[in-house]
Amino acid sequence: MQPLAPRPQMTTLLTNSVLDRLERLRINPVGRRTSRSRGEHLSGKGGTSTEFCDYRDYTPGDDTRFVDWNIFARLHRPYLKQFHKEEERHVVLLIDASASMKFEDKLNLAKPLAAAFGVMGLLNNERVSAYASHQVGGAPDRLPPCRGRANMRTLFQFIENLEGHGDAPLERAVDSLLRHHRGRGVCVIVSDFLSFGDLKRGFNLLHSAGLEPLGIQILSPREIEPDVANDLRLVDSETQETLDISSGADLLNLYQEYRQRLENDLALMCRRRSGRFLPVSSATPVESVLFDQMRRQGWIE
Amino acid sequence: MNWGGFQSLSQLWLLSLLVPLVLFYFLKLKRPRAEIPSLVLWRQVLQDHRVNSPFQRFKRNLLLLLQILLLLFLVLAALQPFWRGGPGRNRRLPVLVDCSASMGALDKPGGASRLAEAKRRVREMIDGLASGQELCLISFDNTPRKLTGFTNNKRLLRDALDQIEVADVASDLEQALRLVQALGRSEPFDEVLLFSDGNFPPRVNFDLSFKLNYQRLSPAGPNLGITALSAQRAATGGWDVFVQIEGSADAEGSASVELFQDGNSMANERITVARGRAQRMVFQTKSDHAVSLRVQLTPDGFDSLAADNAAYLDLPASRPLRVFVPKTLFSYRHALQGIQDIELFPQETGDEASGAFDLVMSDRPQDMDIVARTRLSVGFIPPDLQRFIELGTNGSAVVDWRRDAPVLQHVQLADLVVLDQPSFTANAGEADLENLGYEVLIHGQRGPLLVRKQDSDALRFALLFHTDHSTLPYRVGFPIFVENVVQAALEQAGLAEALANRTGALPPLTLTPHGRYQIQTPAQMTEAATADDHGIVSGVAAPRAGYYSILENGAQRRRVGASLLSPSETALAGVAQIEFNEQLQVAAATVVVKTDWPLWQALLMVALGMLLVEWWFFQKKPGGWK
Repeated sequence: MQPLAPRPQMTTLLTNSVLDRLERLRINPVGRRTSRSRGEHLSGKGGTSTEFCDYRDYTPGDDTRFVDWNIFARLHRPYLKQFHKEEERHVVLLIDASASMKFEDKLNLAKPLAAAFGVMGLLNNERVSAYASHQVGGAPDRLPPCRGRANMRTLFQFIENLEGHGDAPLERAVDSLLRHHRGRGVCVIVSDFLSFGDLKRGFNLLHSAGLEPLGIQILSPREIEPDVANDLRLVDSETQETLDISSGADLLNLYQEYRQRLENDLALMCRRRSGRFLPVSSATPVESVLFDQMRRQGWIE
Repeated sequence: MNWGGFQSLSQLWLLSLLVPLVLFYFLKLKRPRAEIPSLVLWRQVLQDHRVNSPFQRFKRNLLLLLQILLLLFLVLAALQPFWRGGPGRNRRLPVLVDCSASMGALDKPGGASRLAEAKRRVREMIDGLASGQELCLISFDNTPRKLTGFTNNKRLLRDALDQIEVADVASDLEQALRLVQALGRSEPFDEVLLFSDGNFPPRVNFDLSFKLNYQRLSPAGPNLGITALSAQRAATGGWDVFVQIEGSADAEGSASVELFQDGNSMANERITVARGRAQRMVFQTKSDHAVSLRVQLTPDGFDSLAADNAAYLDLPASRPLRVFVPKTLFSYRHALQGIQDIELFPQETGDEASGAFDLVMSDRPQDMDIVARTRLSVGFIPPDLQRFIELGTNGSAVVDWRRDAPVLQHVQLADLVVLDQPSFTANAGEADLENLGYEVLIHGQRGPLLVRKQDSDALRFALLFHTDHSTLPYRVGFPIFVENVVQAALEQAGLAEALANRTGALPPLTLTPHGRYQIQTPAQMTEAATADDHGIVSGVAAPRAGYYSILENGAQRRRVGASLLSPSETALAGVAQIEFNEQLQVAAATVVVKTDWPLWQALLMVALGMLLVEWWFFQKKPGGWK
């Protein structure tokens, strides 16, 4: 008996073993935001799914098909059976593919993470769309909403082909996203969230569009612990602007203070909009992020 | 009160270097470029008010601040700031340094001499010499020496200062001040600095025309020393050697005094010297030939001055006095016959009279050519006086005479009848004689009757009238006069008394005419000397006590000792106040003269330290400035 040939790798983003594990997981949003179209997610409202939910008194005008005749036979009173309503949920992947994400494998972590969320969405029959922001004023790379396992390869190709360049800030990317997107669900934002703009506005727009923000902030190790002992001229990778600092070691405490403050603000903004926030280092393996940090924090189940 | 200032304010323009410094700092600051994903966080950091607080700004531009401070310190150093040490600053300042014998006294066993202390203080002045100041170093003992002109060349001044050594002679402040006064005519100054222990007479015959800053050095320790050494021929034929021991005001105690004759110890005695008292001793020595004596004083306790602990005396060989008197001067020959230890020539039995004589008494001018140490001419005018004195026959009388002159002691000349008449020529006077070195001992009615002249090698008396033409030979004082002349001849020949030579200059030495000699000093230095036509070597400086060897072709020809023998130097007394003419008094300064303290070295050191700190912080310190 010949041994089985190894299964070919589906994508360079995630290993087959990770994909196998992802098949058994699904995104666990804080709220339940779904679209009216039928789907696999139970909505808060009563529906026509096969899953029984409750009984209620019959009132004239109700559809007699949902009268429980067995109870009517025993009690001589008509009761109406109610069923859960299952609606469709959108999983929007917003990937920051600006030049700043090229640093120290930030984009290389952002892409598999986004792919993992896309895979979970597709495997759970959710509508998955993806956006990647690059240049200010330019149209974002966009993967139209798709559903089902058959679209996994399309999703992988879209994400694999992303390259980091441009200077688009995140809030502009949100604007571009919402110009095309329709539907409620979650918006997985993978970015470093280092923007001069007003992030709060972007989160508000997402919230009002019915998308729960799931923010994943990826920072490189040197961003978390900068090595700026002496005088330096810092150059912004996106705008090429420069900033001179003297005695950089003196400023590290302040830097950490501001970095922590940004994390806290982002976490607060996400939490207030029924979302989640997770800061990770680009040096962290994707498996560790997915199956350790995110599972422990209830991002996926 | 003015605490200090700058010596070179013209260098203030260097402050303008601040402009290019700041300019280049910002233009040329080579910051390493570091590309980072985003400036978001860093911009927020730099906008934080804590970063922009003055202290943080200071820390951010610490390098610039250090460089500005460095430049400021360098500019300050270039301005040559100084901390004022003295009450004022003089552009020219003559510095008198006493280097007499007492300056060699130590303050304690193994301590520093007064001269070393003075040199230390002068050296401090030289080190602190400002660029606009000039010093003129003058050392003085019995003569002043200008070591440098007015200069601010520190090396030159230091070298000159190092050359100053103690001379075993007494100091003469007056001569030094006169030299300084002469200097002031060409290069004016306001103040003169005097470093001395004050061992000079309290009254100085000098019209002080400048401010004298008298820096009196601290007194030295106790001292005992030999202050006099002489010998007289004893009646027994030997010599009585007299030694006097004195001490400083605070010196008392015992000592041993040892007499060496030709290097051999002849006597050793213990003495005790009371405070402020002198101790006199007499040694007897007997020798037919010339001997060299050395008296060595060895105090039991600490003795601050060693130069006065030894004295030297040369005794001539004992012999009769050789006297030449022509037979025509019968009265003189008759008077001489009563005096012992005299060989009278020509003898009564013959006319032979050759060789050198100790005394020549003659009324014949040609006899004055006979070699002799002492001559007495009688009845004629010496050739060098004939321009001023002529001899007449009108008779004369004694007007006055020098009763204190040794040759006229106990000689009564009143009512002396003189038939000759020596008289001044027209327009001549006593001043003309003095210009020739003559001293009038007996004044006549129209001119001198007896004159005396002391040359370097001979003593001359001239009786300008013939005694046979006077009543002098018939007077009681005549044999006394002759004996006084004999006594002067004995002293001149060194047969009656011997005095120790003092330092300063050696006595004239009789050697071979035109001979070339080397004088080896006690410090083993050698000087050349040449004898004159008469074989006399004179004017040999003897600044140090000890033996001076006269060498001829490398072989010792003679040895002469020179001793300090100065009661004032031995006493180490220092005057606290000097009195000048017109009752002008200068007291010793109570404040030690301080020089301006230059600060530029300190500023340079600070700048260097700052440079090292900067280098360490920015290059070497791990993790940079925390």
